[in-house]
Amino acid sequence: MDSYFDILSVLILLSSIILVSHKRIKSYIKTFRIQSALIALTAGIMGWNSLMEEGSFDILVVCVIIVLLKVIFIPRLLHKTYGSVEYKVEKDFFLNIPLLILICCGLVVFVYFSVSNISGLNEDHLNLQVVNSFSVILIGLFFMISRKWALGQMIGFLVIENGIFVTAIFSTNGMPFIVDIGIFIDMITAILIMGIMVMQINKQFDSININKLKNLKG
Amino acid sequence: MIAIANNLIQLLVILLLAPMVDGVIRKCKALSQKRQGAPVLQMYYDLFKLIQKESVVSETASWIYKATPYIVFSTAAAGALLVPITTLVPSTQLSGDIILLFYLLALGRFFMCLSALDTGSTFGGMGSSREAMISSLIEPSILVSVFTIGLIAGSTSIYQMMRAMTEVGNPLFHPVFILTFLAMLIIILAETSRIPVDDPATHLELTMVHEAMLLEYSGRHLALMEYGAAIKQLILMTLVANLFLPMDQLISFPGVGAFILSIVLYSLRVIFLSIIIAITEISTVKFRFFSIPNLAALSFILSFLGFLQYFVLGR
Repeated sequence: MDSYFDILSVLILLSSIILVSHKRIKSYIKTFRIQSALIALTAGIMGWNSLMEEGSFDILVVCVIIVLLKVIFIPRLLHKTYGSVEYKVEKDFFLNIPLLILICCGLVVFVYFSVSNISGLNEDHLNLQVVNSFSVILIGLFFMISRKWALGQMIGFLVIENGIFVTAIFSTNGMPFIVDIGIFIDMITAILIMGIMVMQINKQFDSININKLKNLKG
Repeated sequence: MIAIANNLIQLLVILLLAPMVDGVIRKCKALSQKRQGAPVLQMYYDLFKLIQKESVVSETASWIYKATPYIVFSTAAAGALLVPITTLVPSTQLSGDIILLFYLLALGRFFMCLSALDTGSTFGGMGSSREAMISSLIEPSILVSVFTIGLIAGSTSIYQMMRAMTEVGNPLFHPVFILTFLAMLIIILAETSRIPVDDPATHLELTMVHEAMLLEYSGRHLALMEYGAAIKQLILMTLVANLFLPMDQLISFPGVGAFILSIVLYSLRVIFLSIIIAITEISTVKFRFFSIPNLAALSFILSFLGFLQYFVLGR
């Protein structure tokens, strides 16, 4: 069973790195959707285990919520926001893409060295899963600062949230149900507000490049 | 004695199978476009026809131009001697390791670049500069992924690596090997000039890489160059098929039957891989040339992450 979680954690890490290598907003959304589906699969397997062993179906409910929210609802919302924005391809980055990918690689190494010092995580599989899922958080953060467009930053935020959820689920076998629900509701509120803000920014400045927010508008 | 016979058989199988791989990929692409397409054996006919024709050599060409087809073909064939197609029978102890294999292929590629520059045509120069760029970009990821597997197997000998992989069970459910497998798939696409990197079917001067280098060749020389490229493609696919999709551990009975069964399974895996490559070709578009560093960086990071996962797992 552990080997399945190993593979899934690796694939989740991989999807976040592929996200960094993309240029098109449509591909961002697609990759985010795949990553969320992988997370839902992880939660599904874990929930099934806990249902069989302890008879609790908390994690299965969380899994269903992830499928509804992150695989179906939020990508659709993002597509809608994306449809209202004029430019579809992100052209200028602060750094070029190969460099971004290599920096992500550095982040993973950094996480490996910092996590391996935490006592209690030294069991092989747990260590691997926590390293991979913790890197997803940092890569999400890095994705956020490497993109200039507001939509990219929304996706970066969502990836950070995915990373936190995966870290929690791998290291604790599922948080209390009420905490998960609280996080999801916070997240959906944040996404709705951000979506509206992106549309407003686009309307006011004719672009969602956040560098242009420095310009004054009367 | 048996080992030498085995090596000869493996050379023969690779030489015979190589043009068919191309045929399978082309057939898959044709079927996806609802065409009937050329027969699977088309490349054999092409090679046969080309060998009978005389080859035209430019007056300004030096000996490099004439020697290159033979060098390309012979390095590819020597590479085919190094890659075991079955792990049931031990290969000769003379057989070199995987580093030698990749640098033999690089030798052929080096001469190909030189010969394209030799005649002084503009397309040749363009093609060889592009080829040099792609190969230097993809080389780090080749080395890292190969060394990762070598580290786990405890040897750089290809035969030992393949033996070690048969004991892993299913490598695609292992965090290290899935990453190196994906890296190797990108390496195959880049090394054999497949679609995201280079389009093998067009002769459009703006995009061609591999064809630009073969543009001046004709007749027997062209046949040797194309055959060499096909063998190289099959060598890389053999590596992937035997390292990441090993099936020899499933064969429990000894004897000649097991050997034949192993070769049949090997051909099936190669066909499976060529279908995967065909699907990749169908579903992606050719990248802009300056986007290739992104792909190479992705391939590098895949292999590097695989390397890192090995240390995280602590084995």
